[in-house]
Amino acid sequence: MLLKIAAGFYLGAFILLLWDILSSRHKAVPWAGITAGVGGALLHTLSLFILFTSRGHVTLISLKEAISFFSWALVIVFLFLEHQRKAHILGIVVFPVSFLSLLFVLGVSTDSSFLKSPTTSILISLHSVLIDLGLASAALAFFVSCFYLILDMFLRKKIFNYFFNKLPSLEFLDHLNQEFNGLGFAFLTLGLIFVMIWSYRTYATIWPWGQKGSWALLVWFLYLSLVLLRRRRDFRGKQAAYLSIAGFFLFAVTILAVNLYMGGGHSVF
Amino acid sequence: MLRLTLAGVNHKTTPIEIRERLAYPKEHLNDALKTLSRREGVLETLILSTCNRVEILTVTTHSSPDPEFFLSFLQETHPVLQGHSLRPYLYHLTGQEAALHFFEVTSSLDSMVIGEPQITGQVKEAYERSRSLNLTGPMLNQIFQRAIASAKRVRTETAISNLPVSISYAACQLARKIFQDMHDKNVLLLGGGDMAQLTARHMRKLGVGNMTLMLRDAQKGQELAAEYQAHYAPFTDLENRLVASDMVVCSTGADTYLINEKMISSVMDRRKSGTLFMIDIAVPRNIDPAITRHSGIFLYNIDDLKTVVEANQREREYEAFQAREIVREELEAFVRWQADRSTVPLIQTLRNHTEALRKAELERYQAVLASLPPDAREKVDILTRSLINKILHPTYQAIRQSPDIDEVREWVTKCYGLPADLSEKNLSQPHEKENTSRLPLSSSGLVEGESPA
Repeated sequence: MLLKIAAGFYLGAFILLLWDILSSRHKAVPWAGITAGVGGALLHTLSLFILFTSRGHVTLISLKEAISFFSWALVIVFLFLEHQRKAHILGIVVFPVSFLSLLFVLGVSTDSSFLKSPTTSILISLHSVLIDLGLASAALAFFVSCFYLILDMFLRKKIFNYFFNKLPSLEFLDHLNQEFNGLGFAFLTLGLIFVMIWSYRTYATIWPWGQKGSWALLVWFLYLSLVLLRRRRDFRGKQAAYLSIAGFFLFAVTILAVNLYMGGGHSVF
Repeated sequence: MLRLTLAGVNHKTTPIEIRERLAYPKEHLNDALKTLSRREGVLETLILSTCNRVEILTVTTHSSPDPEFFLSFLQETHPVLQGHSLRPYLYHLTGQEAALHFFEVTSSLDSMVIGEPQITGQVKEAYERSRSLNLTGPMLNQIFQRAIASAKRVRTETAISNLPVSISYAACQLARKIFQDMHDKNVLLLGGGDMAQLTARHMRKLGVGNMTLMLRDAQKGQELAAEYQAHYAPFTDLENRLVASDMVVCSTGADTYLINEKMISSVMDRRKSGTLFMIDIAVPRNIDPAITRHSGIFLYNIDDLKTVVEANQREREYEAFQAREIVREELEAFVRWQADRSTVPLIQTLRNHTEALRKAELERYQAVLASLPPDAREKVDILTRSLINKILHPTYQAIRQSPDIDEVREWVTKCYGLPADLSEKNLSQPHEKENTSRLPLSSSGLVEGESPA
């Protein structure tokens, strides 16, 4: 029930923010949209809290749980950013994605388990939560990169339409991209460190090489290169945006496809 | 009953040849206002005279002046137009239509360039002039405050003022689409023409951190650089300056490319970073368009900026639809004020009349009442007063809600037996021109002592 109401709030937040973008008249609407988003996030948090406390651990053991947590993380990271940097235009993609994710979670009756034998280890719990937070950050970097490329195209093709006027500056979008990728890399790294510690304790090896492990390492290297390349002054804008988009797709494929269809490392847990 | 009337000509109805002759020089406006105020029935008046319009707003008693009234006034104050017929150009509006037009003018929705900010200041100036001559009163004070409130709301609640419609502003708009913060940016200005100077002024307003000006004439260049708090640099240093710049505005009279592909290749190699935003408003162009092959360069010429301006004009027209909603809301507030104001004298007359009847009745029974203890007498007084108020309450409501004050006045007069002469006398509203017109203007343009809208 809480998830249904939270989904309603996310939809409301999306509509209010879209209204703000389409109509410049009602100044209170972005505030109203963000407030609706905060309301949805609170209910969503409560729903996850009830789930985790009833089970005694926070490990995300199924696709539905992973998607629900991902949509929560997406909203939380966005709201944090909105508080810091006022980037409510991102809300028009964050809230519909979160709403549709919850709709999927609520609508699917059968569920695919990630884990063959669920573990209650705190290390695995931290690993699953951090990886999902990393994916949410990567998704936000992906959205920002798309906005960047659209604005860049408008500027180069000299298209000065309504949407052009509503977008923030290229420089701002580039900064956001850098911040989200940095955040995503930090979550991903921590998530992998926790699973390596767990693996060492369980199997006496820090990296159980399997398809999932290889893909995870590939994602980590891609984000490492993104972070390192950012230190170079000539790696900015479009190049960073393209690599962020590729990074997000690789991250998402690793978590979803490899987990569900390739019988990766999780299948042995 | 006070009547609001507006008559005038503007850029939509009248060619420039007539408008330029009808515009009042500032030094003649006071005389024109005094001439108008001497005409019969005129209680309050205001003349708005700009290059695009001459509009006269009057508040009169009983009946609205007809177009001939204004035509004869215009002919009288513009002897040069004797013999010309102004009738085809003149528009004449009364009541709510006049108020609506005045609100739209003040909110810059009737301007040649919709959303231009000067008109609001010109309306304030016109009002201030009338006020200084004691030619404003309650009606003009109210309509002025509502019009200014409407203009402020239009500017803050719509994007009408955020869409530049000049070439130099459009360049700044594009800069803000590329850069988040201009404070740490280096801007290079090539040339010292009017357009470059305007752009420099706008850049300063945007808070550009560092501005460099390049001009062939070193002395003039140094003078201009000082005026815009910029550094001066000779043209021989162009390549080095390009390496350090984030934005370049080029508007020299040169007939060749000052910045070409070879130079930019070298500059981009040395820069090794970031975006270079270039505006070429020179004709013939000063920057080779082939340089856009470099991914970090955004180059716009004068035609591109015109496209931005045209797009903004279309956006402003869209915003004007939303702005008209605001204007209508302010008009409704004005109409409510007007309705309240016109019913107050009638309600007061009725209240005085019934109070007089009540006192007369109590007087008639003075002998009986005298025998009562003091607290009982007081209770009788309260009871009669309360009874009358309760009986009259629906009537007061009906008066306030009536759309036609003349009809309701007639009905109340007959129904309650108000003396016709007393009614007429009390219902003619006392004009508060003397009191209100002396209220000082606050910095916000509102009359102090009255609540802003």
